[in-house]
Amino acid sequence: MKKYIFSRIIKAIIALFVVLSIVIVMLFTLIPRENIFKNDTSISRMKGDEKTSYMYNKWDELGYLDFITYNEMCYASSDDVNACISGDEEASTKVLQQYENDGYTIAQFNDGSYYGYYEYNPLEILGNFYSHFIQIDHPNKIEDPDNPDLERKYYIGSDQNGVPAVMCSGCEYKYQIYFDGSFPFIHQNIISLDFGTSYPTKLGIDTMNVIAGGQGNAKMEEQTFPTGSTQNSPLIQHSCRYKTTSTLDRMDTTKFTDNYANCDTQYDSPSMISTSLTFGLISLFIAYLIAIPAGIYMARKKGKLADKIGIVYINFLSAVPSLAFIFFVKQIGQGFGLPDKFPHFGFGDIRSYILPIIILALLSTSSLMMWTRRYMIDQSNSDYVKFARAKGLSEGEIFNRHILKNAIIPIVNQIPVSIVMTISGSVITETVFAIPGMGKMLPDSINMLNNNMVITLTFIFTGLSVFAVLVGDLLMTVIDPRIKLTEKGE
Amino acid sequence: MSENNIILSVKDLEVKFKVRDRVLTAIRNISLDFEQGKTVAIVGESGSGKSVFTKTFTGMLDINGEVTNGSIMFEGQDLAKIKKDKEWEKIRGAKIATVFQDPMTSLNPVRTIGYQISEVIIKHQKKSKSEAKKLAIELMEKVGIHDAANRYDEYPFQYSGGMRQRIVIAIALACHPKILICDEPTTALDVTIQAQIINLIKDLSKEYGFTTIYITHDLGVVANVADMVAVMYAGQIIEYGTVEEVFYDPRHPYTWGLLASLPQLGVKGSELYSIHGTPPSLFEKIYGDAFALRSEYAMQIDFEEEPPLFYVSDTHFAKTWLLDERAPKVEPPKIIQNLHERLLATTDKGGRYHG
Repeated sequence: MKKYIFSRIIKAIIALFVVLSIVIVMLFTLIPRENIFKNDTSISRMKGDEKTSYMYNKWDELGYLDFITYNEMCYASSDDVNACISGDEEASTKVLQQYENDGYTIAQFNDGSYYGYYEYNPLEILGNFYSHFIQIDHPNKIEDPDNPDLERKYYIGSDQNGVPAVMCSGCEYKYQIYFDGSFPFIHQNIISLDFGTSYPTKLGIDTMNVIAGGQGNAKMEEQTFPTGSTQNSPLIQHSCRYKTTSTLDRMDTTKFTDNYANCDTQYDSPSMISTSLTFGLISLFIAYLIAIPAGIYMARKKGKLADKIGIVYINFLSAVPSLAFIFFVKQIGQGFGLPDKFPHFGFGDIRSYILPIIILALLSTSSLMMWTRRYMIDQSNSDYVKFARAKGLSEGEIFNRHILKNAIIPIVNQIPVSIVMTISGSVITETVFAIPGMGKMLPDSINMLNNNMVITLTFIFTGLSVFAVLVGDLLMTVIDPRIKLTEKGE
Repeated sequence: MSENNIILSVKDLEVKFKVRDRVLTAIRNISLDFEQGKTVAIVGESGSGKSVFTKTFTGMLDINGEVTNGSIMFEGQDLAKIKKDKEWEKIRGAKIATVFQDPMTSLNPVRTIGYQISEVIIKHQKKSKSEAKKLAIELMEKVGIHDAANRYDEYPFQYSGGMRQRIVIAIALACHPKILICDEPTTALDVTIQAQIINLIKDLSKEYGFTTIYITHDLGVVANVADMVAVMYAGQIIEYGTVEEVFYDPRHPYTWGLLASLPQLGVKGSELYSIHGTPPSLFEKIYGDAFALRSEYAMQIDFEEEPPLFYVSDTHFAKTWLLDERAPKVEPPKIIQNLHERLLATTDKGGRYHG
């Protein structure tokens, strides 16, 4: 069993990276790279050389190609840098020739200066992506020429609340391992995944931060900083990163005794992912709470009135377009004074949640009810039920003790996948109620050609799905004794 | 037949099924008494109503079936009158138990063996969980499960087919029923296991003194275990007698045909005997002898009037006009003469075939 789970995890990871690689190659090769500027507001004001230079720098930054200016070529490759820069024809021809031989395309700006670019092939794109994908923090990570005396060590310290933490000097992050009040209570900054920054929307913010970082306004909180000063500040001290000495300002030095002053800000509203997860989990819970007993009841009363009413309900929900259903429930809800838009009352008010949760829950009941009923009826036709009846058990006993446990197996198997599905959010419901969740993230990022965001979301969704399937299989072994997860021959 | 020993008495039983707006008469006026402690085999081809007949004893007819006439007297109660499941629950498992054909599917795959045995003990004998477990383990040993205490918590998939049928028998006998209905208990098992299971049921019936009702196609099994044989055709019992009488001295042409079709009697190189034609449709009213159309011995009256149950001996009755004194004398086919000895010779004590 352990061996099997291990091999399943390995396979899951391989599958995850295969999917990720395919998506990356598709994004970078199938979509014309000029298109990424369609939604860039800053480029519309540029023209000429400035625009060309901006575009090539952006492509370079996003990993499409390697862009190099003439001066950079001289510094990197010429024997005689000064001659090269001053435009000495012999030196210049030599350098350009050399880059051309290396596969670079040499072109000229309008002002006559040269530049070169090298378009990566798909394999190089993948190689570049994965070479910086996993970031491991270590005490020699920081290179700051202005701070030669920076100590390089791990040490046990304590955070602003006096809770012990593994800290580091010389690393990117000050807090390597720390504890706080949010799940899963122990956190680390040693290994992180680098998906790059978001572009063109949410410009310059790490994609992971866009998805998992807070939203709304900065949330001030009274806290004590290492200098001993107590201030009202939105900074999250656990997230502080190294800031080079040249960029440190006076504000930083009033709070921090060292260079670790580049901290994330905390916000008053939950992140997109947790917003969607909150809505999803609550509505999923309600859906199961309604649909499973209803499906069981329908199966028990098969062909009777209760079953027929249930079938009408299932058919109604399946037949009505979900958008129409959402609007319909929304209109009813407004009659009860519930808001038609989430931001109307915001995160703090329970009224904001009622309608979307009712809608999400009801929408998922129909298929769940249908399958529960189906599985129950399938099982109630089996021989062991006939034998149980011959044993003298009552219908209730047969249903509760025998049929249910068999019928629930495929349903339990699906639970983890359903939970993961809620993270992707519900596009329509979230849009209708203007809920700041994950629902629109993937379609929007594809539409905006926000490559790094698409890659990040692919990674998250694929990873969670693959592991949800595994967890579903593991759950099944718990309730079905016949199923053992083993490798062949184990 | 002494009246006192009768445990179950069926009178004029008629069962009808509604099938897509049409009515099918599955059981047509059966009267039969079952004696205590005896083993009765009900034989007949598929669709003759064997299973339906015994299902009426436990109220297990399919939802579209109904007892439309007659009575089934058991311990002073008319089972044909019971409508509520609550009342049936006191009969099923507790007084009349059933063993079904396929042990592979008769047990709930996701419940332990122990749970499935003790469940019925708790239900009918009102024992506590630990008492039930003790009784269940005793029962498991009784039906030949070695190391029963350890195997109590195992699941059906960890048992072989024969072992599962032993468990099914243990469950059926858990509450010491008066009647055990075995609906083709060995059909799904291989021949070596068949013999073991049949012997097990035989031994247990001696020990507990219950009446066994066998439903089977397997005349080899019948010859070995049954005291009485009832031959069914088209929803009626057309011949009833002790096993010797039915095998030695069968009177009904259908019984002759049935016995002659035994593959064991086939001669190498020649074709096996089969009764030609198919049974009549039970959707329509049957006039005369239901077997007349397929019978080589049919007379004019067979098509006109239903034969009564003719008396052959105190224990032997047959429903054919051939027994009427006006009928011509006919000899049963040669192939089935001395059948009982020959059948016993081809099988050993447990009903196992030699070849």
